Amino acid sequence: MLFNSIEFFVFLPLVFLLYWMLQKQKLSLQNGLLLVASYYFYACWDWRFLFLLMFSTGLDYLAGLMMQQTKNESNRKFWFWFTISVNIGFLGVFKYYNFFVDSFAELLSGLGFQVHFWTLNVILPVGISFYTFHGLSYVIDIYKRRIEPEHNFIEYALFVSYFPLLVAGPIERATHLLPQIKRKRSFDYQKSIQGVKQIIWGLFKKVVIADNCAFFVNQIFDNSASHSAPELWLGSVLFAFQIYGDFSGYSDIALGTSKLFGIDLLRNFNFPYFSKDIADFWRRWHISLSTWFRDYLYIPLGGSRGSKWQSVRNTFIIFLVSGFWHGANWTFIIWGLIHALLFLPLLLSNSNRSSLNNSNYSLSDLPKVLATFIFVCLAWVFFRADSLTESWHFISGMVDFRDVSLGFFYKNSKYILISFICFISILWLVITEWRNVLKNNYEIQLSKYNLFVLLLMIFFMGSFKNQMSFIYFQF
Amino acid sequence: MYTFLKKIVIYGLASFIVLNLIAFCSLYFLGKSCFYKQQFVKNGVKETTFDYVVLGSSTGLTTLNTKLIDSITQKKGLNISIDDSGLSSHYLMLQHFYSAGKSTKKLILAVVPDDLGNAEPMINTNDYRFIPHIWNNDEVTNYFNQMNGKNTLLYKVSPYFPLIPVSYYNTELFYPGLLSILKPGNRYLFDDKGNFSYPNTSANKEIDNLIHRTKKVEFKNPYLTKIIDFCTENKIELLIYQSPIYKTSLVFPESIIVINHSDLINDKVYFYDQIHVNSKGRTICTLKFCESVFN
Repeated sequence: MLFNSIEFFVFLPLVFLLYWMLQKQKLSLQNGLLLVASYYFYACWDWRFLFLLMFSTGLDYLAGLMMQQTKNESNRKFWFWFTISVNIGFLGVFKYYNFFVDSFAELLSGLGFQVHFWTLNVILPVGISFYTFHGLSYVIDIYKRRIEPEHNFIEYALFVSYFPLLVAGPIERATHLLPQIKRKRSFDYQKSIQGVKQIIWGLFKKVVIADNCAFFVNQIFDNSASHSAPELWLGSVLFAFQIYGDFSGYSDIALGTSKLFGIDLLRNFNFPYFSKDIADFWRRWHISLSTWFRDYLYIPLGGSRGSKWQSVRNTFIIFLVSGFWHGANWTFIIWGLIHALLFLPLLLSNSNRSSLNNSNYSLSDLPKVLATFIFVCLAWVFFRADSLTESWHFISGMVDFRDVSLGFFYKNSKYILISFICFISILWLVITEWRNVLKNNYEIQLSKYNLFVLLLMIFFMGSFKNQMSFIYFQF
Repeated sequence: MYTFLKKIVIYGLASFIVLNLIAFCSLYFLGKSCFYKQQFVKNGVKETTFDYVVLGSSTGLTTLNTKLIDSITQKKGLNISIDDSGLSSHYLMLQHFYSAGKSTKKLILAVVPDDLGNAEPMINTNDYRFIPHIWNNDEVTNYFNQMNGKNTLLYKVSPYFPLIPVSYYNTELFYPGLLSILKPGNRYLFDDKGNFSYPNTSANKEIDNLIHRTKKVEFKNPYLTKIIDFCTENKIELLIYQSPIYKTSLVFPESIIVINHSDLINDKVYFYDQIHVNSKGRTICTLKFCESVFN
């Protein structure tokens, strides 16, 4: 069930009404309803994987209790490593097994040995990377004695499976979400209104920006050799807006939907294309993932506390793992590596936190913002391309200025029209976000006038006929 | 909670009404224009009687040049073919043509073999172009109510909620509607006689590997019978025309007379792709057609 589908707009009001009708009943009924709704939401993708989700939930829940109950440290360790292994094992089997097998076979083939390994012919369970990370953070926090395990299974299961965040995040923490699930919730008018606004804003980003940009992006990336350098540059810029519109649009809809149920989710994006450097970008892009890696990988590895060499090593590890989290392909690893390389000068010059305390903008920041955006766009080429060879051809084409035409974008009336829609909608996004950045708004603020214009754009500029699935569902 | 729901309902309803009005206006202006063939037939064609009309899908649109036929035969013809369509749309187009006050002595029905053999026709890709006429043509409403296939609900609700089809087909309906306010005479990819031709590029390499085949055509599509009945009722002489298909010979049942040009030309330079001729191929086909029909 896609957030931008008719089914969802029937499902959401139904669950919303039932949920608040139960307000005066026991909290467990409200939570039970949300859990059933969440499982139904997930089953709409593929009901078979619901059992995997339930198993993973049950295992983490049990491990949490066992780690608390046992007095024996080695038993605690056993349960911790057992759960971590099973969770990562699931990810490994469903997401990475074929990649490792293929890469190993290629390596052996390069050495002159022809081998054929057995590969899995299985689809990736939607949201597996997200709910696995929910579970992992919970188990790690219990093991590190940061939190107490949850005894109420319904509440724990809801923490893992809460439908707004189930398939593409934000990646929540038990410390943030579980207390909200356990607390009696009463209807908050302002929060609900903000939720509806955020849903509309998210829909605009997804249906108007992302799906229209996808029209050009898919064609350019599928056949980069037949495009000129300016077309390839524009293709990478459009992909930057496509993935931003797609993923942050999804996050906005998730956050807005959750607000309707009185639950705040972690913010996932903070106007990332206004970043002044790569470090700043990573504080604004997919925040729930980058902070997850910071807290559960970077800091345990030593973070920036050790020598410079250790900081550099940890930074590379974090970016490579982050890239690999996105998918089993060398393109994602190289994408992570590029970000690590871009981060390195900031780390070595101790300026990776320079923009942290400076949220104001001046004209002199413009070149920094533009340069960061261009680097990010270049890195996106690797993220979007199907293989390293294709990425390389794409990048080579970007610097081959023998052909400087932009004819692809106006080759017929349909292309002109979609170019116009992309231009207008991106301009609207940038202006609206810029106003909010200047006001240091935590969330996007939209007036009634803005909302109406957004509705106009959604209905008359949205790409409904060529609806695309959310990109991050594949991760 | 009550205030929230009230606000959502009021604002939601108000927006829905305004958006529907905008959608209705775009369809209204599109309906008054000549943008698609459906509107052109109604608003852009001054003549009311024709010696012949060509009706079909993209093969009918791009194979027979009515300008050339008229210049050779001194007849008065029109091409009312619609690309990406089937016999069901052709039947509706024929009804639409007559309800616009036009008539013809001959109907050249350019067919596609797979469509003829389709016993359960579904709604066609470009049927949305009839939506601007949903309020003033009962045949269009009936057609949408009868048809099955992808997004049929969208067509069925279009008289009551025009926003739904207009937002779904916004690049195909809304923007042409806006353009029609400024330029009501604009036509989308066809000339003043309803023709379109593919450029003189030769068909790509994909068809190089095709081997010659002979294929039997079956008449299973119920809309063929409906077209035959319509022609009988309105005293129209019906001629079925089959355009060339690269390296293909079609064999039709003998129950209906067919001008079968499926293997008329077999040189790749006259094809745009396997089933469409290019501009050069169109001239050859049109001349041969004149010879077969009007001599």
